[in-house]
Amino acid sequence: MSEATPSRQPRPGLLAGASTGLRLTRHSLVLIALCVLLLPLADLAILTRDPWAELGRMARGMAWPAWGSLESPVSAIGLTVAVAIWGTLAGVILGFPLALLFARSRLVRAGCAFVRAIHELFWALLFLQVFGLSALTALMALAIPYAGIFAKVYAEILEQTPRAPREALPPGSGRLSRFLYTELPLAWAQLAAYTRYRFECALRASVLLGFVGLPTLGFHLETAFREGRYPEAGALLWLFYLLIATLPWWGHKRLVPMLLIGGALLLGPWPEVDGGLLWRFVSDDLWPAPLLAGDPTGLLNWLARIPDLGPAIGNTLLLGLMGTVGALLVALALWPLACRHFGNRGTRLAGHGLLVILRSTPELMLAFIFLLLLGPSLLPAWLALSLHNGALIAFLVARHADALAPGMTGLSASGRFAYELLPRVYPGMLALLYYRAEVILRETAILGMLGVATLGFYIEEGFDYLMFDVAFFLLLITATLNIAVDSLSRRLRPREAPVEGSCTR
Amino acid sequence: MAEGKRQPLIAFHGEDLGYGLERGQGGRARPARVVLPGLSLTLHRGDRVALLGQSGAGKSTLLAELRRRLGPQAAWCPQHHGLVAQLAVYHNVYMGRLPEHSALANLWNLLRPLKRPWQAVAELCELLGLEGLMRRPVGQLSGGQRQRVAIARALYQQRDLFLGDEPVASVDPHQALRLLALIEERHHTSVVALHQRELALSHFDRVWGLRDGRLVIDAPAGELTLAELDTLYPDADAAPAPITSTPPLDPEALPCSRGRP
Repeated sequence: MSEATPSRQPRPGLLAGASTGLRLTRHSLVLIALCVLLLPLADLAILTRDPWAELGRMARGMAWPAWGSLESPVSAIGLTVAVAIWGTLAGVILGFPLALLFARSRLVRAGCAFVRAIHELFWALLFLQVFGLSALTALMALAIPYAGIFAKVYAEILEQTPRAPREALPPGSGRLSRFLYTELPLAWAQLAAYTRYRFECALRASVLLGFVGLPTLGFHLETAFREGRYPEAGALLWLFYLLIATLPWWGHKRLVPMLLIGGALLLGPWPEVDGGLLWRFVSDDLWPAPLLAGDPTGLLNWLARIPDLGPAIGNTLLLGLMGTVGALLVALALWPLACRHFGNRGTRLAGHGLLVILRSTPELMLAFIFLLLLGPSLLPAWLALSLHNGALIAFLVARHADALAPGMTGLSASGRFAYELLPRVYPGMLALLYYRAEVILRETAILGMLGVATLGFYIEEGFDYLMFDVAFFLLLITATLNIAVDSLSRRLRPREAPVEGSCTR
Repeated sequence: MAEGKRQPLIAFHGEDLGYGLERGQGGRARPARVVLPGLSLTLHRGDRVALLGQSGAGKSTLLAELRRRLGPQAAWCPQHHGLVAQLAVYHNVYMGRLPEHSALANLWNLLRPLKRPWQAVAELCELLGLEGLMRRPVGQLSGGQRQRVAIARALYQQRDLFLGDEPVASVDPHQALRLLALIEERHHTSVVALHQRELALSHFDRVWGLRDGRLVIDAPAGELTLAELDTLYPDADAAPAPITSTPPLDPEALPCSRGRP
């Protein structure tokens, strides 16, 4: 305004203003306040007697791993990689044709949203009933949700290819030729990058399949941890980090055919599929008997026998919110550690290491470790979700910040953080967080398998007691909840920063 | 004008051109956003038309409509090339005749170039100074090289008519002359959008000038002067200058007036 009377302009109040930074700050503070307000409802008790002693034993196990006590690490690693690569490939084969139909068919979109909404481990529990502890169970558990994910992401990537080459084609070019010449080549690099990222996720998921009994790395990890053989567990964990860290070398695209062939030889055992039994499972076992018989009062009775889901759904949603807010706080605290604008070479290296370890440890694994330390409350689940997802977001934010050049030189670190970098990276960070919210909720459900009282707890119970109809019903509820939260977070997500890059979805 | 003998290819009679279709009165399709209202003009066989006008004057709309009506008769060279950066020069040029092969042949051609198209494209590339670049991805080429690939793709279509939206915008003046000559040699009729007014007068026999969605010039190039063409670019002479003075230099203008009397 007028320069002569600067004092006429009233000083704005606390957090008042329409700038993006202030708006997003208010947005985040509301989210945090909501979480704090609901926190008393969560069961955060520490139930073990001496968590510090246990932590000490675990740390000693990590520091002095017992390499010699590993029984068959090579076959466990081989199976883990084989399941991951073939599961990803099967997902691509199923998902790619769906991606081409994705924009046109509401049915395809709904179907993909449904299969995506159910975690790999739940799919594994479902297929376990039909195919037993076999390679088929493992492959289907990865391939089916990944088909839904690939369909959606591939469709988005293809949709964003530039239109100009398509329009330059002479009239009468066939659909397939048009796709091969002007769409596929333009999208190829992004499709490949996303498939790679998904393969990394598949590796983690493949490890986790050990938790339901498939003999991947996770099976040995879980056994070792559960039986308190921490040096052995430490060795396995280091092996897993080594596997992830060396991925760029052994997972080079030239080696993929060899991995596929080698993996095919390692996959097994293959189940004998009994068509009749399979059909009975799909058509009969999964559905409540009164529904199949067309008996409405019986169906009401059936519903009445289902355990009270209110607290389970409440816990699932609460843990989802707490995990999201926790991830935000962890990401805010951790991203400067790995960013070139802060610290020295040593701190950055340590920060990178910390982020890599936190984000490549599967969240179920983290939760499992915290569970052993703290006992079965929401606390270990909360810590695991916050740390894993927070580290993932922090890593991406640090990379974003590395690409920025501060306009003012010679600012102190806090000035750089608050004035130069945070205002630029925060919109993207919040957008990432909302993307992850759906993933966090999906993970929340599987934490039930460790005994945390979320929906997943009752789903596993249903499968354990062979009440497939109940388990399937709960799976449907979980999927619906995920789809609802996904659409909610889509609506709440700030529009300031379009998130690009493959590692976000 | 002696139009009796010349065979009209396309004629517009007071038509509204634009983009986005909607149903108008009587169920007739009409553009949702009109760029060129009430346009009347005729394209004759054998015409070599330079299409001039500021950005946004409606050149691309007119060319798109011509392309739509001429269908497979016209070879097309789009603005900003419309190339696939990840594919080799050969494959981009080959795309000019994509509909003439089966999908299977097109697929195989991506894996290993077909023999006859490879030779035909090689000849064209030699003509355009692209020899030795046929296997290079277009993304690694310079702006001028990309421009020539786009023209090669249009020439490869082997049509009678050529429609180009600024096909010589990113090459140097000498190359622009060579490319225009090549286009002239291989097509009996052409409509080319340009920014270089001197080229329009020296290398075309008709000029269409668009200004604010109106066709304000439709005359043989021989009857026009540079000053008259300058009226198409109102932003270039914000301060109204007398028409006899030397026109302010358009940054896009090329020193090709040397060849003119």
